[in-house]
Amino acid sequence: MARKAKELLDIPADDFEMVVRIVREEDIAVARQMAKQLAQGLGFSLADVTKVATAVSELARNIYRYAQTGKIMIRKRLEENGGPTIQVVAVDRGPGIEDVDLVLTRGYTTYERSLGIGLSGIRRLMDFFEVVSEVGTGTAVVVEKRRRKF
Amino acid sequence: MTFKEKVVPTIRVADCLLVPIQIDLDDKTVEQLQAQLLAEIQEQRVRAVILDVRMVEVIDSYISYTLSETAAMARLMGCRTVICGIRPPVALTLAQMGIELQGFLVARDLEHALALVWSP
Ligand SMILES: Nc1ncnc2c1ncn2[C@@H]1O[C@H](COP(=O)(O)OP(=O)(O)OP(=O)(O)O)[C@@H](O)[C@H]1O
Ligand SMILES: [Mg+2]
Repeated sequence: MARKAKELLDIPADDFEMVVRIVREEDIAVARQMAKQLAQGLGFSLADVTKVATAVSELARNIYRYAQTGKIMIRKRLEENGGPTIQVVAVDRGPGIEDVDLVLTRGYTTYERSLGIGLSGIRRLMDFFEVVSEVGTGTAVVVEKRRRKF
Repeated sequence: MTFKEKVVPTIRVADCLLVPIQIDLDDKTVEQLQAQLLAEIQEQRVRAVILDVRMVEVIDSYISYTLSETAAMARLMGCRTVICGIRPPVALTLAQMGIELQGFLVARDLEHALALVWSP
């Protein structure tokens, strides 16, 4: 786990189509907008564009709130005999998460003004979801959404 | 409240305040909107606030929380809040995340919203 956290935190940003540094609150909206554009450009349905944008919004806000700064990195992956997939990697070198299962519980929060459903919610919206975190090192969240034929 | 202090222009319709949200709701905007609406409810003594979110493309957890908090505050001031025009993809996303927009009456459109407000 610890090795994986470091590996993910060190993924070179060059491997991604879009990188948004989250430093200020406004960057949350910027990241959301970029994700939307990429998903639209890849021909995702409006429903899936909205899900991807919402997921990025949650991840960017978590970085801003809990780690102050970090990065949202987005790329497309072309699966063999399948449509394109959007992958979002959210990384920060913030405090890390001690008990990942606990924070994925619906309603769990350490922030006073919130529902505590960001992570558990996006887990339901995406096709792939993984949190890798180490206290003192940082947190990486990886989510993916496949394009669906409809 | 002066025009400059408003993040979203509002329209008075009979005893209601109509709030068509035409901008991207980021965190700061939704907080400013809350402050604006509470001030307007107090100044204008409206019976209801109707939020029209037809143009809003993303409603996430924090935006929902702040909107619901606003609805709860409005209720304490004797004012109803109705949300109308939620886009289908936004409705789908909220439903899958399990977000309920507590505190709001939910309407299909403006006409339905007014009917809800004026129903006894
Ligand atoms: N990047 C992060 N670094 C450290 N802790 C985090 C990070 N992301 C989430 N957490 C922890 O996980 C908890 C749950 O996160 P989640 O996004 O599910 O809910 P929330 O942010 O508390 O509320 P909401 O997202 O509904 O506004 C947070 O309260 C925080 O304690
Ligand atoms: Mg969150």
